[in-house]
Amino acid sequence: MKVSRLFQRTMFGIFFLFLLIGVSTSVVSIYSVDLHLTSEYEENSRDIAKTIADASVDIILNRDLSSLQSLIDQFVEIQGISYIYIVNDTDEYLAHTFVPGIPEEILESERRVGETVTRNLAGMGDFVEVSSYILAGHVGSVHIGMDVSHVALAIQQAIGNQIYLIAIIFFVGIFASIWFVSFAAKPINALLDYAVTLAKRESEEGSSETAERVLTRNDEVGHLARLFQYFSTVSDPQKLEQASDDAGKE
Amino acid sequence: MQHQHQGDVEHFGYMAQLTRRQLTQGVLAGAAIAPWRAFASDLVGQATTVPSGPLTDSGVTDSEIVLGVSTAFKGPSRGLGIELYRGAVSYFAHVNDQGGVHGRRIVLKLRNDGYQPVPAVENSVKLIVDDKVFALFGYVGTPTVTRVLPVLKKFQDRDFLLFFPFTGAQPQRQPPYDEFAFNLRASYKQETAGLVDNFMAIGRERIAVFYQADAYGRSGWAGVRGALKEHNTKLVGEATYRRGEQYTAVMRAQVERLKKVNPDAVICIGSYAACAAFARDAIDNGLEIPIANLSFVGSENLLKNLTDEFGSESERYSRWLVNSQVVPSYEDLSMASISEYAELMQRYDPTPPPEFEEHDYVPFAKSFTSLEGFLNAKLMTEILVRAGPSPSRALLEDAVFSIQNHDLGIGEQVHFSPERRQGLDQVYYTIVDNNRFVGLTDWKAKFAV
Repeated sequence: MKVSRLFQRTMFGIFFLFLLIGVSTSVVSIYSVDLHLTSEYEENSRDIAKTIADASVDIILNRDLSSLQSLIDQFVEIQGISYIYIVNDTDEYLAHTFVPGIPEEILESERRVGETVTRNLAGMGDFVEVSSYILAGHVGSVHIGMDVSHVALAIQQAIGNQIYLIAIIFFVGIFASIWFVSFAAKPINALLDYAVTLAKRESEEGSSETAERVLTRNDEVGHLARLFQYFSTVSDPQKLEQASDDAGKE
Repeated sequence: MQHQHQGDVEHFGYMAQLTRRQLTQGVLAGAAIAPWRAFASDLVGQATTVPSGPLTDSGVTDSEIVLGVSTAFKGPSRGLGIELYRGAVSYFAHVNDQGGVHGRRIVLKLRNDGYQPVPAVENSVKLIVDDKVFALFGYVGTPTVTRVLPVLKKFQDRDFLLFFPFTGAQPQRQPPYDEFAFNLRASYKQETAGLVDNFMAIGRERIAVFYQADAYGRSGWAGVRGALKEHNTKLVGEATYRRGEQYTAVMRAQVERLKKVNPDAVICIGSYAACAAFARDAIDNGLEIPIANLSFVGSENLLKNLTDEFGSESERYSRWLVNSQVVPSYEDLSMASISEYAELMQRYDPTPPPEFEEHDYVPFAKSFTSLEGFLNAKLMTEILVRAGPSPSRALLEDAVFSIQNHDLGIGEQVHFSPERRQGLDQVYYTIVDNNRFVGLTDWKAKFAV
């Protein structure tokens, strides 16, 4: 598909415009998806921590700790949650999901309930930890750790899908614009051919098909063709000027 | 005679549709209107009718009583499910050969859960809703049973009960789920308290735990913690492993964690494959201290893992083992039920269920687990006998409560009441001698510091 030289700059303009839209949309998407998903993960985990905290009160006060363990085991099956631990008001660990044991980093760290804590656990990875008080802290607190790499993977997947879509739109847009430009350039090329024919004073038979095609058009190309045809038959400069004015009014 | 029998069945079929509360209300209402009914009967004679309803109670036909079993027939803990089943089947086969219970054979509807909670829940729903069994029997494991208890609560209007699960955990022993289960064995609380008391008595006061990271492990951990509290002390350390670990698992990380706290003894709350792996790695890495295991471990399977790998050298590892049991030694043939167990296991030699059979599993001639299954079946049969010729789920609990000072043939009386839903309390301690478990009588001589 040949692009008219007249539209080549327009084509490059469209290309760069699409590229700019694609890149800027991707950057904004990455930023907003990252922000949104991270906060959503944190928010969900905080809700889960609160749910466990609410459900734990009765178990800790009245029932066996195996029920508490069973409760957190169900929640740790949720994607994105890597560990859960529950401590009582004297900072004793009542239940947890760590294997082969509670990491030293957690044992030695200060308890900051309600805050979002970033942790690097040796041999396990990077985690974001959220927490919730059980009975306003009088019974203890629940802590939930999310694997940062899992959150990052989820973000990458979400962003990947967006970039994939933008890339498809970009390439479809480029091909569509080339086709539209070529489509728009076709009558101009025909007009050019016609003008060349007139200039060469070629026989009517040889160019009748091209002439018919451009002379019957009801747009600017048709008007110009008819004007060229008129110019080729009129030699008086005043009549030429009059014809040019008439064409302009049309 | 046949007509009378059908009448009874019809009557109980109707009763089976009632909830316990409705039944109680009905009994009270019946008592209140009894004089009037007698008078009315005199007046109308045969016009007084028995309420119509289905001919049979669910799970009970003229020829069978169906019990539902979901257990580990496959997976790393299959040895527990299979041996418990084999012990129960040896007794039920004997009962069926004798004509069954009130003329009905006891039939087990089996499902495999692989010792995993989600399949256990799904199986239980199928047993209740699709298979319509009479009661649930012989489940294995704390993480499984803990998750099944809410299922029983959900179907409480159908009066389903769980009999004699192979777990000593608390959830089915205390509210809100205690009303849905009956236990035969002593609890983990009792087992761990006994182990702690004995270790403390011989000066092994620094106690650590190695446990399965789930409800079972936590139950045992809580038992040890509680027992140590009684001695005004605390756990010195802990290490965990993931449920489903095989004997091939490396437990060096767990051993290293525990070595750091320099314990005098380790109490393991796990399954046989993982606990055998831990004992192997502990001794190999210089942690030469008593390694105690709870009854759930499946002692024979644990020892088999070590002897299969080390042969005669396994004594190096097994000499540190001390396992608590909730049934007496199967070698003690002076007890009536032990003798009967030995005879029936030999006579019937039950195989694993064909539908779940994996040919690499070699059953044990005798084991603590199959003995427990045998005793479970024996007591279950007694309950079904007491439930009468027309058993009903709604009245099954009353049949259990009628058991008072019942001699199960192991030197310990069994009795149940609404406040007591556990039959036995005795805990036994065993050590390995000549590649078999024998009773431990002198803790000081064996394990004193």
